[in-house]
Amino acid sequence: MYGSPPLVRLAPLLLLLIAGFVLPHLLRQYFLFLGNILMMYAVLALGLDILLGWAGQFAFAHIAFFGIGTYATALLHARLGVPFVIAMPLAALLAGLIGLLIGFPATRLRTVYLALATFAFAEGAQWVFNAWDKVTGGADGLRISAPTVFGYATGTDPTAFPVMAAILALMIAATMYLTTSRLGRAMCAVRESEHVAAASGIDVRGTKIWAFAISAVYAGVAGGMYTLFQSFVNPEVFGFSQIVLLLSMVVVGGLGSIPGALIGVALLGLLPEIMRTTMRSLLIWQEFAYGVILILVIMFMPRGIWGMIVALRNRKRTHA
Amino acid sequence: MKRLLLAAAVSTALFGNALFARAWAADPGITDNEITIGLFAPMSGPLTAFGLDALQAAKMWYEEINRQGGIHGRKIKLVIEDDKCSPNDVVAVVKKLVTVDNVFFVHGGSCTAAAVAAQEFVTREKVPHVMLNASGDSAVIPPTRYVFGAFGGTQRTVGATLAEFAIKELKGKRIALIAHDDDYGVANAATVKAVAKRLGAEVVALESISPRITDLTAPMLNVRAANPDVIISTCYPGPAVLVAQKYAEFGMTRIPFAQAVQGIPVPAGFAKNVGNDAAFANFYYGSPLNDLTDGPKQQKWIAMYKQHYPDRTPSAFMTYGLPSAMAITRALEKAGRNVTRESFVDALETVDFDSEVVAGPIAFAKDRRDAHRASIFIRYDGKSGHTLMPGVYTWDGKEGR
Amino acid sequence: MWPLVLQGVASGIVTGCVYALIAISLVIVYKSSDVINFAGGEMVMLGGYLGMFALLGLGLPYLFVFPFAALVIFAIGALFDRIVLTRTLRRAVPGQSVLVAMVIGTVGLSYVIKGAVRVVPYTEEVRRLPPISAGQPIFLGPVVLQHQDVAITLAAIVIMAALWAFFGFTIIGKALRATSQNPRAAALVGIPVRLMSMTAWGLAAALAGVAGVLLAPKLLLTPDSGIVVILALAAAIIGGFTSLPGCVAGGILLGVVQNMIGQFVSSRAISLAPFLVIMLVLLVRPQGLFAGRPTTKKV
Repeated sequence: MYGSPPLVRLAPLLLLLIAGFVLPHLLRQYFLFLGNILMMYAVLALGLDILLGWAGQFAFAHIAFFGIGTYATALLHARLGVPFVIAMPLAALLAGLIGLLIGFPATRLRTVYLALATFAFAEGAQWVFNAWDKVTGGADGLRISAPTVFGYATGTDPTAFPVMAAILALMIAATMYLTTSRLGRAMCAVRESEHVAAASGIDVRGTKIWAFAISAVYAGVAGGMYTLFQSFVNPEVFGFSQIVLLLSMVVVGGLGSIPGALIGVALLGLLPEIMRTTMRSLLIWQEFAYGVILILVIMFMPRGIWGMIVALRNRKRTHA
Repeated sequence: MKRLLLAAAVSTALFGNALFARAWAADPGITDNEITIGLFAPMSGPLTAFGLDALQAAKMWYEEINRQGGIHGRKIKLVIEDDKCSPNDVVAVVKKLVTVDNVFFVHGGSCTAAAVAAQEFVTREKVPHVMLNASGDSAVIPPTRYVFGAFGGTQRTVGATLAEFAIKELKGKRIALIAHDDDYGVANAATVKAVAKRLGAEVVALESISPRITDLTAPMLNVRAANPDVIISTCYPGPAVLVAQKYAEFGMTRIPFAQAVQGIPVPAGFAKNVGNDAAFANFYYGSPLNDLTDGPKQQKWIAMYKQHYPDRTPSAFMTYGLPSAMAITRALEKAGRNVTRESFVDALETVDFDSEVVAGPIAFAKDRRDAHRASIFIRYDGKSGHTLMPGVYTWDGKEGR
Repeated sequence: MWPLVLQGVASGIVTGCVYALIAISLVIVYKSSDVINFAGGEMVMLGGYLGMFALLGLGLPYLFVFPFAALVIFAIGALFDRIVLTRTLRRAVPGQSVLVAMVIGTVGLSYVIKGAVRVVPYTEEVRRLPPISAGQPIFLGPVVLQHQDVAITLAAIVIMAALWAFFGFTIIGKALRATSQNPRAAALVGIPVRLMSMTAWGLAAALAGVAGVLLAPKLLLTPDSGIVVILALAAAIIGGFTSLPGCVAGGILLGVVQNMIGQFVSSRAISLAPFLVIMLVLLVRPQGLFAGRPTTKKV
């Protein structure tokens, strides 16, 4: 389980890349659009899972870094003409830096206070996106000019799809390496018990700060992904309901596991579309249904869906 | 393994038609006897009140046209979606309507940010997008070929007409404006300032407040300190009530107060919520309609609505859905039997008619995509006394742009 | 200028008591189960709507509206704790913070309440519960106050005093305190811990409902009114999240600061104030301005 992941575990990523190049020729644009949205959320969820599921830090600031990543990439490209392949990493680094800065004071706080402080930071960031209209376009929003990747023009769903898939594959691979590395092990230890971790010689504070910074980088990358297929961004995208959605995704899917995060994204990301087609005359019940689903999941599947699958698999093994 | 292949084959057969792309010829959404229109509005979520009835009104108009035989032998078929007034949902809905349901064009949008979000897609795919009752400021100004909107007037119109009314009719020279800090408020403020400048008045206070604000003490104290002689507000229903309350509480009721239409959908309800008669000593509100909401000129539409939807009392925004549907059917009529998306857009550009719903003409042009630029004003005494003020105020389309 | 500042302060105190009432509800839940009740705002909103129903639909006299709303929401809170939270706790996975799941549970509850309220067509329009008494405003020098404002401030003080007496002198109150301090020890001395947890939730929910009846005349009602919970959270944090008088002090401070920012900086900055305050307080003095030294719970 620890040490570098065996190369065979990277095989599914190859499938993802192939799908990324083949599907745009097969599927209608609406479904490619959904796919792009899911892939972007997947990167967001992976990042949040690192902080919440692996390091056990109950922090809500993720959305702010997503916004920083989106605006930074869009502005670098539109105002300064920086090509995407440089703009996105720069934006992600910026997000990571701010994550690092936030990490220092944040790691002094425990559970609820950490949650509230980071939540306040996220809301504060949204206020800045709204108020700093000279830079971000404010409430009017910002139009995004279509980026080109190594001369390949994106900006539409079919063209962005393979690039999104490639980035997602990269981030999944990175997560695999991270979670089996020394830092990943340290995060798990800190999550289980800070006292024991400290007693074992782990730099608890440093680990936590790294977790903050790294998860912020993920969010920044997701922000860059946003600019690949969307033409417009406004501060509404980075609000409270998005935080709730992301949190639900990782918890419903299963904290602390890559398949869990991806399952959560697929389910809760597609849920609105499913509700849209199945609840035709009952649309006004959507919020209610969403709340009921959340409650049922935490009541009956505390480990998330992936956790339940793993538990079932283990039970089969021991009872076989 | 065999089972997997079988499952794959079955699902492809079942869903392949919906999932997989097809090469298509000419313009989608047009058959020999049907035109398919993708209609969307908020049907759930916090802004349902703005959109649901407008959508029903548009539906009602299409049903009437179908009842009279359709357009050039084709009946109108609708695919209806809920956009919740959220930019993300609008993009998803429009993409679905265009690429999965293959509609001829899309008709919808009750909120501006949502309309703007879809703009790039419809322009790229060359699909006409006619808004429902959204102001759509940033999507129609500057105009782009495929997006038509502002059938109730842009927020620029709201600001300009309010300012002109305040200065010309209410004799204001020192204007206090209370607007939101969102895209609506920014557009309002721009034209208010421009009109004020033209007519020699001064904006002595501009309070920019969040739509979620709960305590209006500080902004209204600021307004009072600025000593205005007319107060205008473009706030949404909740904050508008709070503004009016504080306006009365802080003893400013000698100063005339004009509220934009978006904050006072149901005047009786508004008055009840304010709960203070003093606030209506000098109270006016604007409306893009050609009469009071239940005035004689609006009765035929209300009657038509009752016929189609006997179970629902229409909200004040109901008739707002009509002008866009009217413009659409007129343009389809004009474009003739061999209509294409391009000829439909060309035909839309030539419409100029009195909808018998709103105060001014509905008109487009080669360089104009905001349909309506007029407003009337009504004095309201807080009970049942609505007095139509003389004049129809118009924005010239250029000032404060 | 001074009269304006005084008005700002007075209104700030009243608004602060509004936040404080909701904050008290949040703190009670937190002390009893370490959970932030994100559905607190929705409970307030529901209290307001139940108040409207009782007053306008059932025709109850105003004074009966309070217990009506309180009882209904008490039931909702207690049942939520009993059915959802207890089960979630029992299935808690060691090594993973169960708090995350419980918080998501409260978020789910908030959507359930909001969704259920939104279905009722009556709630489509902005509504206002008639105030307790609609008389002439009260003038304290240059300051104008409505009757409802006075009612809110008085209510905050009375409720706080009542709770102080409840927690300090009644058996149930002491049992609740014991349970929150050390559930195992409480169980050992025979306190029915699950029942206590239910009671705490029910009490907090009832408070939120009562707050809703008080606040609806001032804040207006829509299904989205629950958003006010963020301001209550800020108030609770300032106060230290563990002390009830702290809530009131925190709320008042927040209300006044918001108004001062609105008057001296800009109206636009008002919405930023609570978040800035939260971050500053947690950075500089995480235990809140009114609690003692930061304490650590025993592992």
